[in-house]
Amino acid sequence: MHIPDGVLPTAVCLGGYATAGAAAWFSLRKISRQENPREGMPKASLLTAAFLVASWIHIPIPPASVHLMLNGLLGVVLGYYAFPAILIGLFFQAIMFQHGGLTTLGVNATVIGVPALLAFYLFRLRNILGRENRVLTGLFGFLAGGGGIALAAVAAFFILVTTIPAHLDVEAEQASIYALTLAHIPVMILEGVFTAVVAVFLQRVKPELLEG
Amino acid sequence: MKLQLDRYAYLETPLHSWDPRYKLVGFMTLIFAFSFVDNLQLLPFMVAVSGVLYAVSQLPLSFLLARMRLPGFFLLMMGVLLPFISGSTVLFHLGPLSVKQEGCLDLLLIAVKFVSILTMGIILFGTSPFLTNVKAMCALGLPSILADMILFTYRYLYDISDNLKTMQTAMRLRGFQGHNIKGLVTLASLAGTILVRSYEQSDRVYKAMTLRGYGQADVNRGGQHEEEFEAYSRDLWGLIILLLVAAAFVVGQILIR
Repeated sequence: MHIPDGVLPTAVCLGGYATAGAAAWFSLRKISRQENPREGMPKASLLTAAFLVASWIHIPIPPASVHLMLNGLLGVVLGYYAFPAILIGLFFQAIMFQHGGLTTLGVNATVIGVPALLAFYLFRLRNILGRENRVLTGLFGFLAGGGGIALAAVAAFFILVTTIPAHLDVEAEQASIYALTLAHIPVMILEGVFTAVVAVFLQRVKPELLEG
Repeated sequence: MKLQLDRYAYLETPLHSWDPRYKLVGFMTLIFAFSFVDNLQLLPFMVAVSGVLYAVSQLPLSFLLARMRLPGFFLLMMGVLLPFISGSTVLFHLGPLSVKQEGCLDLLLIAVKFVSILTMGIILFGTSPFLTNVKAMCALGLPSILADMILFTYRYLYDISDNLKTMQTAMRLRGFQGHNIKGLVTLASLAGTILVRSYEQSDRVYKAMTLRGYGQADVNRGGQHEEEFEAYSRDLWGLIILLLVAAAFVVGQILIR
């Protein structure tokens, strides 16, 4: 889901930087309004590193294995820090592992980070219905995790298929988007279940981590 | 796991000694100029420019090739798909599938741009220490909270990755196989434990930082970093040359179009 360099037109890459800039500005503005904005920085940074590392865990789906993106879980745990965390995580992935790219950093951050923010808002609804209830935590964790990756997948495939410099006709483009999205449904369910289990685990072990 | 990005930052070449602020601006402009190109006639020049810059940087070829391995899978996927689905001019048939000319040319364009941009990124971040690059980004206007987060993440990435390795080894020694739904729950607990440990560590780090005065005197860090760099005329000339090369690609693309 990380779009690499050389694939998208420059206008799309620059547009991605503009939307990522706007989302980062919005997040930093919300962070600066917190009582002590600097207090959350070490927490967000270490958790950014922890999320990067956690995304390296292989989830076995015989006969292969997959890596999860965890953007929904990032939104659930980090709240408004989720977008800067994803921006930084993608920056590291681009320069250290050549996963993603420097020109597509803005597009990737928007595609993955905005759903993380939406997952954060979705998970906050749990507070209205009962934050101590583990079933609700699991349910909202599933919706945040599965929804986060579903939105990111649809956005990434839409951008890829409609802007890649290939000679595809409209019907082939639509079929590709549907096919790629459908192929990712098992991953969305897996990511949702994984996020739900981690959310319930955190509620049991360290509930303050779910306060965003 | 050690994937040191700035392993060869100690070398002495014009690219290593170039003011990182100018280098960042010059390379990012050239990278975006490369991404602007979609004319096949400009591709040999793109390969030549990235090849010459890589040679000047004196970074070993093995360093570049090792970093191409992971993104190579993406190219392989494109190579399997594009020649068959893109375009209408059939070059030849491969069983029931037909290989199309436009698809092959699209693949060539994407592959060359991809490798060239990747090479430029490796030169940019491989010829200066990572900390210096972050300071340069700060001097160019990166918000201090983002710069702090980048440095902290970089500092603790390896620690946490070592933690994960230790926990995975412990799981294996206790007979963890992880091929069923129970395995997924255990892996989720592993991820949760990493988050909890990191959170607790961050609390200790924050307290230690506060004791050392963190957040007490919120000085203008951008200005502070700017004073750490000293630019000479050769730095400016380097930037001008790179900007001219970038402009040549953009103009070439517009004229040929």
